[in-house]
Amino acid sequence: MAASGNNRSRLLLVILLVTALFLITLDLRGINIAKNSRSATQTFLAPVQRGFSDFFSPVGNFFSDVKNFGRAKAQITDLEKENAKLKNQLVVNADVKGQLTKLKGVLNLAGRGGYKVVSARVIGQGSASTFSQTITIDAGSIDGVQKDMTVINESGIVGVVKSVTGSSAIVILMSDPTFRIGVRIAGTQTVGILLGQGSNRYTLQLLDPAGTIKFGDALLSLGSDNNHPFVPGLPVGSVSFVDHSNSALTQTASVTGYANLNSLGVVSVITTAAKQDPKDSLVPVPDPIKTIYVTATPSPSSSGAPSNPSPSPTSKGKK
Amino acid sequence: MSWTRAGLFAAFLFVVFILQEAAISKINFPISGFSLYLAVLLGLMSLEDKFGAIVLGFIGGLILDFSPSSDSPFGKWALILTLVGYVFATNRESIGDFTERPGSFVIFISIGSALTLLVFLCFGVLLGENNGAFGTNMLTIFGNSLWTLLFAPILLPGLVKWRSITVNARERA
Repeated sequence: MAASGNNRSRLLLVILLVTALFLITLDLRGINIAKNSRSATQTFLAPVQRGFSDFFSPVGNFFSDVKNFGRAKAQITDLEKENAKLKNQLVVNADVKGQLTKLKGVLNLAGRGGYKVVSARVIGQGSASTFSQTITIDAGSIDGVQKDMTVINESGIVGVVKSVTGSSAIVILMSDPTFRIGVRIAGTQTVGILLGQGSNRYTLQLLDPAGTIKFGDALLSLGSDNNHPFVPGLPVGSVSFVDHSNSALTQTASVTGYANLNSLGVVSVITTAAKQDPKDSLVPVPDPIKTIYVTATPSPSSSGAPSNPSPSPTSKGKK
Repeated sequence: MSWTRAGLFAAFLFVVFILQEAAISKINFPISGFSLYLAVLLGLMSLEDKFGAIVLGFIGGLILDFSPSSDSPFGKWALILTLVGYVFATNRESIGDFTERPGSFVIFISIGSALTLLVFLCFGVLLGENNGAFGTNMLTIFGNSLWTLLFAPILLPGLVKWRSITVNARERA
């Protein structure tokens, strides 16, 4: 009996393995079972994700908030004072307010570049079990979103639209290991390819053997034919480490992306690119360094003893 | 495993799949994300006999292949989880009844989920897929196993209950 059960299991195993291999072969040969079925699943999932997104928005970052609890303890006193002031002023929901700030930032970037955009809320993230870095947004073909359109946030490029349904779209993020984008270094215009590495660090490979990279160089998107999938001139990231080893034909470097892909709330899809390449105009300007001048003035109580003035610092802020 | 039970399991796994895609993946877990779906599927497989584990693996894999965020060829998860189901059931027989050994269950599920993801990666390499940095992938697998280790004890009673509801008298005998 046991041997019969084992034989039955082995036969079933072989049948199911052959079926799975058959499905994989069909998919790899271009018969799009996956595309249609995954698109149907996405259409079904989008409203559910939207519902859960509203519910999970405040608790999504629970673990990272807990992790930073100890570090934030020192700031509690200051925050309590600030909180008392804010309570009187706070009318708008903090979550909505944060999204508005992001929206303002992304529209500002799009406006400076002359792009026409469709803004959308992030309603889902790629599953941990797929190893692909994606997000789901609540704008789809009805809103004018199409496959291979560039997606940005207030800091720069976020990714590219991978697939679209009527009311939602899946965006493959820059950090995805399969992501490749042509970039140029602002100023020198040296051209290279930026490769996703699965995190907010990227690898830059220059195409020109004579080209050089410096720490802090800003990278902008090079653009594609007909502006799909990439429009030119968008901020991508800045060089954080230059590899000086001589083993490679061209220079390589590590790059830190401008866009923080871990806290995406609102993004914009570029539907129409600018008529003219914005060149280097969208390179992020670093915050100006604040210089504080401290001058010592004698206090009134020590006016009789000018040889030992007690310093009373006054500060003048200057940007 | 009867057709009715297979259908019930498919429906149950589909609900867990929706929960995973719509809710669990929205939470930013430290280190890496947690796959509730894999934990539930491996948990259910570990309570089944060899035949049931293989069927469950195939059904569970097919459902996971529907994931809109997946870039892998359709059928890859079905293939991997069918194999994992077989390996699971074969090894499980030597451990005995998990309902009496919850500690073994938790460790088995946690290691199983790590191995499943590792096989998924290795198979991806065979198919010529770009899986990204090795370190990041290992961190993802480690994080997922860690969260599975923490959450699996909560899942066990529910899974045992679900199995006892779906199993009929003939199968129980």
